[in-house]
Amino acid sequence: MLPFLKWGHVMRAILSVLGAAILYCAIGSSSLQAQERSAVRQGFVLPPQSGKTILVLRPSVRVAEQSTGGLAEPRAEWTDQARAHIGAALVELQRQLGNTVIAAPEAYGEDARTVAEHLALFGAVSDAVVQYQFFVGNRLPTKKRDNKAGQFDWSLGPDVAKLPGAEQADYALFLHTDDQFGSTGRKMLQIVGAIAGVGFTSGVHKGSAGLVDLKTGDLLWLNADFQMGGDVREADGAMKRVRQLLEDFPGSAIPRDAPSAETPSGGKP
Amino acid sequence: MIARARLAIGLVALVAGRMGQAEPALPPPYAGAYQPQGVDEQGLWALMDEEERRFAQSDMVMREAALQAYVTKVLCDTVGADRCGATRVYIVRVPVFNASMSPNGLMQVYSGLLLRVHSEAELGAVLGHEFGHFEARHSLEQLKTQRSSGDVMAWAFVLANMAPSYDVVRAYRNLQLTIIGNFYRFGRNQEREADGLGIGYLNSSALRPQAAAQVWERLMSEFTADARAKGLKKPRFDRIPFYATHPPEAERAATLTLLARPDAATRDDGAARYRAALAPWLPQLLEDQIKLNDFGASEFIIQSLAESGWTAPLWHARGELYRMRGAPRDLVHAAQFYAQAIALDDTHAEAHRGLGLSLLKSGQTAPGQQALRRYLALKPDAPDAKLIGMMIPKEVPAP
Repeated sequence: MLPFLKWGHVMRAILSVLGAAILYCAIGSSSLQAQERSAVRQGFVLPPQSGKTILVLRPSVRVAEQSTGGLAEPRAEWTDQARAHIGAALVELQRQLGNTVIAAPEAYGEDARTVAEHLALFGAVSDAVVQYQFFVGNRLPTKKRDNKAGQFDWSLGPDVAKLPGAEQADYALFLHTDDQFGSTGRKMLQIVGAIAGVGFTSGVHKGSAGLVDLKTGDLLWLNADFQMGGDVREADGAMKRVRQLLEDFPGSAIPRDAPSAETPSGGKP
Repeated sequence: MIARARLAIGLVALVAGRMGQAEPALPPPYAGAYQPQGVDEQGLWALMDEEERRFAQSDMVMREAALQAYVTKVLCDTVGADRCGATRVYIVRVPVFNASMSPNGLMQVYSGLLLRVHSEAELGAVLGHEFGHFEARHSLEQLKTQRSSGDVMAWAFVLANMAPSYDVVRAYRNLQLTIIGNFYRFGRNQEREADGLGIGYLNSSALRPQAAAQVWERLMSEFTADARAKGLKKPRFDRIPFYATHPPEAERAATLTLLARPDAATRDDGAARYRAALAPWLPQLLEDQIKLNDFGASEFIIQSLAESGWTAPLWHARGELYRMRGAPRDLVHAAQFYAQAIALDDTHAEAHRGLGLSLLKSGQTAPGQQALRRYLALKPDAPDAKLIGMMIPKEVPAP
């Protein structure tokens, strides 16, 4: 019972494990996190230049500075910049793919609740895909056979057709990015840590993107990457980020970045 | 030895660096259309603004305009109309005693709190405490403390690794415990400050400030009753555990008693107004509490609400509580309680339903079916009408 909590209780819980977290950052191997995975629903093909309309729901964008101790300090200006740049980059890249991007209209009342519910539902479904299908070793017993057969069968249900703006679009695109840029202190810690024999990571750059069929609610494509490139605070960087997010987009002709700067892509599950 | 000296020097330098930053005085966060100042506050507010977009559409929020308006009015009566405009009050359907405040003025009031306070003054005491967190910018200070604590710990970790001898590791662990302990103490002191601000608002409002301590006294009684029902030891309300986020209840009750203006003891606490305003939602709040399957606490809450007079919803809730536990002896009591509810309000359909089900289960078929018939007569379009109908032989069509 924690009477009279304020929102800081989450942070407190984080601090109570901070000691462990520092240790984790120190010893945490990057092998598990360095993976990028994507998958396309079987039988789904989107020929290039097919001129589809894609509804983009409000992307979840969070940009923070990572303090020396590893705390995410939220940064309003960076988040605003990233949101604007990512939106612009998305429109441009989809135009190159021959698709039209429309932003979801402002929703009110019941509609707004439907949108919020679907954003949360997509978050839960994509987390489940990442947790139980994308990475070996943590797979659900009931999904093992599907994995072997290369099946990718997840859905948000047909209610997505009721989303505001859904009737004018073919697919819905969900975007999520979470960035923490290492502060000067964090980088110093990294350098001194290297001398002391403790490896600290600096910065967190995660992202995921998913495409959902607005008629059936089926998840058509999902891409998750825990170590993304591109500084989302700048237009060029945001372009690189969105290009990486859309890398394996169905029907994509987006050229990959130079292989040296690229995290090797994992195989299809 | 050298390593230890280095560790000490590093820490001294860090602490000195933190202390050197002087904070400029800021305007209160409720003044006018206040805009957050500085990167940290702007970051926190932006984060919570984005969160509020999502939260405002959550299904946990009770969209009851009248209830929301009433709770907002109590907040304004407590902290003053000039302040309360900076907040948005959301009532969330969570049947536990709590409320929370975000740095940007998003206030969450849990439905379990509304069930447990008995007057406008008691509710105002809690809302005032939360508003105190907002006015004193506690989340921002929390972030800064957390950041500096984490920074010191990270550096100490690196330094300790440079010379991982037994002494250094021990010194590092001691430092770690000290920092974590200090952080929680800092949080508890913020709560004490918020308690002080909250009682200050009440003192200068028209409500009775002595009510603030009552909230905690009743909560302690509830915890005690709950522990007794579970066969546990009487809980201690005077100890401060290492990770405690709040001061102990007994301390808060004692402090609030001391800080309440003595000459304000005769003021109205708005208990009658509170009861009248909450009456439409009381059955739902009680139902949510009963479903927690926490017999001792639920029984205590019902009994304490009944101190101002038993009503049909209270008798019905008590009947539900006993019927849900469902031991044969509970069903006997449940039937009595439902009967009390019916005696006060013969049109209380759910009481007839509960009475019928309790009687059927304890083998009294005829009176049980009679009560269920009455339920269906009062509420023919009840969602469980078909199910209940099957328990009454006459209502089942011949196959």
